Amino acid sequence: MIILEIILRLVLWLVLAPLLPGIINKVKAWVAGRRGPPVLQLYYDLARLWQKSVVMSTLASPGFIAGPAVAWIAVLAATQLLPLGPAGAALSFRGDVLLFVYLLALARFCTAWAALETGSAFVGMGSAREVSYAVLSEAALITAVLTLSVHTGSVTLVTMLAPAAGAGVVLLGAGLFTVLLAENCRVPFDDPNTHLELTMIHEAMILDHSGPPLAVILHGASMKLLLFALLLTEAVLPVGPLSAVAAAGALVGGVLMVTVGVGLVESWLARFAFKRVPMLLTTGFLLCLFALLVAWKGGAA
Amino acid sequence: MTPGLLLLIAALSLAVSIVIGPKFSRAWIVSVLIGSVAACGVSLMVLMGGAEWEWRSTFLVGGELLHLRLDALSGLFLMLVGVIGGAGAVYATGYWSDKQYPQSAPKGRAWWSGLVLSLGLVLLVSNGLHFLIVWEVFTVCAYFLVTLENERSEVRAAGWLYLAASHVGMVFLFAFFSILASKTGSWELGPMREQVGLAPLFWFALMGFGVKAGIFPLHVWLPSAHANAPSHVSAIMSGVAIKMGVYGLMRFSGWLPVPEAAGQVVIGLGACGALLGIAFAIAQTDIKRLLAYCSVENIGVIFIGIGGALIARSQGDAMWGRLVLVGALLHVWNHGLFKALLFFSAGSVLHATGTREMSRLGGLWRTMPWTAGLFALGAVAISGLPPLNGFVSEWLVYLGLFDAVNLRGAAAWAAMPAVIALAVTGALALASFVKVSAMVFLGVPRTKAAEHAHDCGASMRGSMLVLAIVCVSIGLAPVMFWPLIGRAAGVWNPAWALVTDLPAPLATLGPVQAVLAMLIIAAAVWLWRYAKRNRLKRALTWDCGYALPTARMQYTGGSFGGIPAGWFFWILRPEFKVKRPRGLFPEGASQVERVPETVLERVIGPVGEVVMRVSTAVRQLQQGRLQSYILYLVAGLAALAVLVVMGGVR
Repeated sequence: MIILEIILRLVLWLVLAPLLPGIINKVKAWVAGRRGPPVLQLYYDLARLWQKSVVMSTLASPGFIAGPAVAWIAVLAATQLLPLGPAGAALSFRGDVLLFVYLLALARFCTAWAALETGSAFVGMGSAREVSYAVLSEAALITAVLTLSVHTGSVTLVTMLAPAAGAGVVLLGAGLFTVLLAENCRVPFDDPNTHLELTMIHEAMILDHSGPPLAVILHGASMKLLLFALLLTEAVLPVGPLSAVAAAGALVGGVLMVTVGVGLVESWLARFAFKRVPMLLTTGFLLCLFALLVAWKGGAA
Repeated sequence: MTPGLLLLIAALSLAVSIVIGPKFSRAWIVSVLIGSVAACGVSLMVLMGGAEWEWRSTFLVGGELLHLRLDALSGLFLMLVGVIGGAGAVYATGYWSDKQYPQSAPKGRAWWSGLVLSLGLVLLVSNGLHFLIVWEVFTVCAYFLVTLENERSEVRAAGWLYLAASHVGMVFLFAFFSILASKTGSWELGPMREQVGLAPLFWFALMGFGVKAGIFPLHVWLPSAHANAPSHVSAIMSGVAIKMGVYGLMRFSGWLPVPEAAGQVVIGLGACGALLGIAFAIAQTDIKRLLAYCSVENIGVIFIGIGGALIARSQGDAMWGRLVLVGALLHVWNHGLFKALLFFSAGSVLHATGTREMSRLGGLWRTMPWTAGLFALGAVAISGLPPLNGFVSEWLVYLGLFDAVNLRGAAAWAAMPAVIALAVTGALALASFVKVSAMVFLGVPRTKAAEHAHDCGASMRGSMLVLAIVCVSIGLAPVMFWPLIGRAAGVWNPAWALVTDLPAPLATLGPVQAVLAMLIIAAAVWLWRYAKRNRLKRALTWDCGYALPTARMQYTGGSFGGIPAGWFFWILRPEFKVKRPRGLFPEGASQVERVPETVLERVIGPVGEVVMRVSTAVRQLQQGRLQSYILYLVAGLAALAVLVVMGGVR
């Protein structure tokens, strides 16, 4: 029974995740007045890439292929720690939220490692930016985690995400949304569509990947997007007390809203100059910090 | 076997190895290994719940009775001495061989045994005077090891700085132990928590042991000493010797009362030290210097744990303190293990290529696969990533700090900034280690030396493998190590010794890490095989269509760390030397960037210069002419006479 449940969860995450980039692209096309690629485009891409052969740099070690695989496992493991509303998480224990944060860091380490295998300068730039900006977004993320922990008095994701984030919910939501945009390399931090390699972060890191490893990277990125969208939704909405159906509806609605929001941001904002990226991330961190203070005050009163 | 017998075996074989070391390298290694295995054995006995071992002899050393004791806290550190002492000795036979260093290798063996023996004695002696003596012996042994390659001037400078800084610390320790002895009436050490008057002595201990531990800003000696020492020496310095500072602080904050503010100060020092240590690390371009600054960071992490434990103890022995303390003590082990592993791998890179400069390395994974793989393992572990051991200890510290926040006491205001500092430190450590591993092992070799490197020999590889295996096993089975460390925490605060239960989340984390490790290996192997089956082709790095990428197009370590180094510009203060191209046919141009050791060169240096200038001015008084000395005498008498007369009037 438990095994069946875990398989069901895995399938849910694996199958649903690639939907999100499709929705974002659809929203962007709709705002721009285009028809846009089909919502299922990423599925087609993944299927196509999976069949292709791999071209690997002559410089690269097997780590070039192993890196994306490890990163994918790390993100997948992180998804299993995140509760799905009243259904809870596949695995839950005190302090799991820290494992969650550090699994994402492991994914980052492996992606950057695999990227740098090629010795290309663009990849160097991309990875340097990725690991540097992650410093600020990790500070923001851990502050958001602290906020939720102070609000609920718990260090377990299931309990932390059950109620709404209290009085500071708007601040926390805005802070987490900023982290979501930065961690998933969306506009205004990064442009997933650009072909100007000098300005890219994530895309620059995967320039030399092809075939199945690229499919694994793209799928992992979509899971990470769903992961952050769900985290944001559950932090903001009080899904804990709802009935199963209402919670499922709230989660789906919330994730859709976040996704559409990302699409709208991408349509209306241009990518920021690199000098302004740390500023924006610091703003995200400060939003989370104020949310923390509000949560602290709220608990004391 | 009784603990006493094992300790005797350890001490005797190490003493013998000092004597035979210079002549017989084979017998030396056997003897050191017997000593370190015996030391590990006796520490395990104490850590696994054996009784505390104590031995009072009627034998006088320096007018004081010899008194030795080994409890779980000193056993924890003795274990580390044994493991790194043994592994480093094996490594040294390949790395610093007689053939390559006929002059210094024999001396190095004797000093190594001396260092291991004196480190062990520091942990055993229970008398203030003897502590000072063996502490000094250990400092001096370490000095001679650091300066093994004393024909190089930077090595001599590094050794001198280390010796000077250690003795500044020593002055504080003299003050600490002699005031302690005068207040208690004896040099005997032991638990005396009820004598509240002794609390202010903690500040002397913090200064004295802080210098040895290398906590920011007392770390000035550490980067150059660790970078310039032979790599096996760097490993024991970074892995074990600086931990003696932590031991001293733990020992005496456990035995003596501490002032109210102690916990807050230590946690603040730890948080700032961790953050600034790693900020300096990311700006380095020398592998070993980067690793050395990273030790400053890890000592900061350990101090966060100790500070948290001090606060918790002062607030009625709150249980969260036990979590952070066990986390900090486990981090002492973990850092000792993976830092030694990293220094060993850095040493094998240095051995193969003759340079520590990242901008002259690159692409070494092909010629040095073992070193590259083991360095990668160490890098993941030190970045605190699951499923390895660094994550376990940082996770325990985090968990304790979160509990402190949720208790909403005064401790929360120290714990919240500490959590954020820890997160930022972790992310910066990840960036530093991605940088160093990629610049050294991945990409195109940047020089001929890097192209024609060779992997290390069996003895070096073997000792690295042992350390890697221990790192992995702590990561995958933390449950086995909890009771050992818990006992050491119980010695520090007896109130925590009563609870022996395993925290439930740790029991879950262990299997989770193991499953994660298996999944990671399975996924990596499977994808590699699938890619190979799917017609894996090799081609030039695409890089958006470059026809002929060269090594000079690669990103360098300096550029990689540029963004975060820019954020810490205010303290890093990099120096630039730019020579611009001039004229129609420029002869050449260059730009040299150097990150100075800010505290040393911008604070201590100028202050020292002022002191020197004043002293030079004062020295004018003494120029060896009899007439002037007679003048000073007359002037002095006159001044006294005036004083007497004036005093008489009043």
